[in-house]
Amino acid sequence: MTSGHGDGRAKRETTGTQMRGAVPDFDSAPAASDPPRRFRSTRVEVEGREEVKVVEVPAFDPVPWDDDADLAIVGRRAERADALEKVTGRARYTTDVQRPGMLHAAILRAPVPRGRLATLDLLPALAMPGVRDAIARADIPAIEVNGFPLLDGVVRHAGQPVAVVVADTPGQARAALAAVQVTYVPEPHAVTAAQALADGAPRVRGEHGNRTRRAPRAARRGDVAKGLAEADVVVEREYRMPCVLHTALEPHGAVAEWTGDQLTVWESTQGIFATRSDLAEGLSLALTNVRVVKDYMGGGFGAKNGASTNAFLAALLARRTGRPVSCINDREGEQTDTGNRAAAVSRVTLGATRDGRLTAIRAETTIALGIDGWEASPGKIYHQLYACPNVETRDTFVWTNTGAMSSFRAPGHVEGAFGLECAMDALARELGLGPLELRRRNHVERDEEKRRDYTGKRLLDCYRLGAERFGWEGRDARREAGDARLRRGFGVASQIWGAGGGPPAYALVRLNPDGTADVLTGSQDLGTGTRTVLAQVAAEALGARLDAVRVVLGDTERTPYTANSWGSMTVPSVAPAVRMAAEDARAQLFEAAAGLLDAEPGALSAREGEISAPNGRVVRIAEVMARLGEVMIVGRGTRGPNPDGHSIASFGAQFAEVEVDVETGRIRVLRIVAAHDSGRILNPTLAESQVEGGIIQGLGYALFEERVLDERLGMPLNPTMHDYKIPVVGDVPRIETEFVGAADALANHTGAKGLGEPPIIPTAPAIANAVADALGVEMTELPMTPWRVRSALSG
Amino acid sequence: MRLTVNRQPHDVDAPPSATLLSVLRDRLHLTGAKLVCGRGECGACTVLLDGEPAYACLTLAAACEGSEVTTIEGIGTAESLHPLQRAFVAEDALQCGYCTPGQILAALALLAREPRPDEAAIRRGMSGNLCRCGTYPKIVRAVQAAAAEMAESP
Repeated sequence: MTSGHGDGRAKRETTGTQMRGAVPDFDSAPAASDPPRRFRSTRVEVEGREEVKVVEVPAFDPVPWDDDADLAIVGRRAERADALEKVTGRARYTTDVQRPGMLHAAILRAPVPRGRLATLDLLPALAMPGVRDAIARADIPAIEVNGFPLLDGVVRHAGQPVAVVVADTPGQARAALAAVQVTYVPEPHAVTAAQALADGAPRVRGEHGNRTRRAPRAARRGDVAKGLAEADVVVEREYRMPCVLHTALEPHGAVAEWTGDQLTVWESTQGIFATRSDLAEGLSLALTNVRVVKDYMGGGFGAKNGASTNAFLAALLARRTGRPVSCINDREGEQTDTGNRAAAVSRVTLGATRDGRLTAIRAETTIALGIDGWEASPGKIYHQLYACPNVETRDTFVWTNTGAMSSFRAPGHVEGAFGLECAMDALARELGLGPLELRRRNHVERDEEKRRDYTGKRLLDCYRLGAERFGWEGRDARREAGDARLRRGFGVASQIWGAGGGPPAYALVRLNPDGTADVLTGSQDLGTGTRTVLAQVAAEALGARLDAVRVVLGDTERTPYTANSWGSMTVPSVAPAVRMAAEDARAQLFEAAAGLLDAEPGALSAREGEISAPNGRVVRIAEVMARLGEVMIVGRGTRGPNPDGHSIASFGAQFAEVEVDVETGRIRVLRIVAAHDSGRILNPTLAESQVEGGIIQGLGYALFEERVLDERLGMPLNPTMHDYKIPVVGDVPRIETEFVGAADALANHTGAKGLGEPPIIPTAPAIANAVADALGVEMTELPMTPWRVRSALSG
Repeated sequence: MRLTVNRQPHDVDAPPSATLLSVLRDRLHLTGAKLVCGRGECGACTVLLDGEPAYACLTLAAACEGSEVTTIEGIGTAESLHPLQRAFVAEDALQCGYCTPGQILAALALLAREPRPDEAAIRRGMSGNLCRCGTYPKIVRAVQAAAAEMAESP
């Protein structure tokens, strides 16, 4: 399935546009005399990396919704479309799928970090009550997951699946696991980057001393040595970021069912089409013979971007047993084998003139990827956030005997922002400048990394709005609320994230005879609110009432292609396609209505389910559709190319107020003010929920979360929700959100950019900067546990 | 064994080791309560036992004979929502929704004990229910709103 050396994700990202055989050239610029091309290429940023994608040029261009657009439903605080299903318990998640005769699988996982299976006997498990089948590597075809064969007999990390049992009930399957007779020959392991890079380290993976093939990944502009020579002040720091786990409440899991050669898989996934192509390739099936369904899902956060181990195992076992099979991870499996944000150590050097202009930025980062993953660069944000002529970063990605890294909400940027934004505060203190003032002085209008303009950038507005709401200038007065033991501190950090989305994305809008509309698009709602905001866009563009529009997502058989819900791409990718499909349907509707209203189709307008003509006559959409009988109106929309010669990004700044108990080392975050520029906000309530969620995950990264390993044994020590601490309600500060909210109509014709990932990026450094402000001592290692605070205080 | 769930009696053929959660989900097809940690660490399986909150993943079904079990499916319907359900919708106190049934039942138990909790009491009372999407600020608001509504029309 996926190829090795961290390229697995890169391959998935081109799913749907990938060519076999001779590759037609979509890149060459058409001559002026050429007829307009239907298919061409465009640039799309996916999870921090820019890719060239083929795009179908839309048949017409909707008029961009700029700030003057008269919108009634887009921008409204509409209730979440699926809230009723969720508060009544009716929402069916993958873990809730129950099929007639369904069996339950349980996975046996290796209890050693490296080694090989010496003996494996499944017969005792097969003799257990209710057990229907049991499989190991020898029983299945070669399928690659994380770059290695599924159920491999060579163990590369603790928690790796080695065998599976399937039984009538989950309890019987679990009980049978204990009956499997298995022994291992352990081998020396390397679970940290330091272990993997040490002389004589065991070969974890690959041919390059446990580094990825192209490591270190270096990027440079200008001359950092020259920039440092020009600097009046230089700060140098080392920052340590932990490995953290997605910990979605719904674990990875799938249910598979065969009908003849037709495979249906229900999977908790952020990408139904990526899952479909992974399954088809791994199981040697035609794409048309695989259907992937994802209705509701209990969180993803980046860890669920293709077919899981569970989906392959469920499909294989369902074929062997002739019964539907459910294969859901238990929590320990989820916390050890489904992805993480990789641990990283950064050495950061900043140089600046006395008046606070950056002259040099250097960051060298070592990242412990685990047994697989992709090169999500902590270095990248160092090139993007500030004006500086001389920047150099080197990212060294290291294979280790731990679970594979996967995307986790703004992968790379979260790790990079911690080092950069904390170092900026260290620099501000050296210069005697305010932290916000230093950031303003180094504001950059253009994308200096790619040397082009942004479609829109309102970071200065974020600084201003956030500082006003927070009372940044008056913060010294609030400092007195603290005392000798409970110290108050204030911090700020900012962020950038490429959240422009792009093609391909498709949508269909079908008008029913009763005037209701079905919006069909192969996207996913992870809990982000996709169903709701797409319904708002469709209703607005169609002129329908919001309650007449239903959005159907998450089923490869019912919906046209749309890419994974990742990279803060869903809204800016899919909303334009939905809008165009709705306008296409509206144009057809107007042709039908024109005769009824005695007016030209082009002169009609529609709002809230009513079509109006200049002559004052009005007809309801439902009435037009009823007159059409069973004639169906189907609108088709595609996501067009991104604007040439521009970068598209979201921006933001967060301000934190903390109280630190110097005796216990406990940090309480009292308040966070977030100010974000993600272009037009389609639904302020849902957008605020996104921001709050990102901040709370960032709070976990700052204060609590860390996968703890026993380095000698190579074993994870806290794969439970009790020992791996995510924030609880009592940890949460007051959170206030401001949106700049101006439409970025150059980015796409809805004016909206992505918001899912940006809010997590500045939270941890804002908190750390506030803690440093409170204590006069810098915190350079996450999470900032009481023990680490006390250690920092005692120097 | 005979269980009373949402005021309905059910005769269930389950082994003595079966948890209440597995009986609710796998045999009675009441899938609102979720299995997340299986160890009483997250609250996603919270149900009410005679009005008291219980982790269904750590409760033996056989021990519930003679008790009233209440699940999310039993406190309100789409046509007639419980005030807490209404408040969770109105305040957008949910994102993915996976923890929501447990959150609502924990809140219901809290309000039964303490009809007008202040914010600190809500934070204390709801701290056993994890949410990874980070809906906590809105959960607090929803519980406050529901408490106010329930106090007005008990």
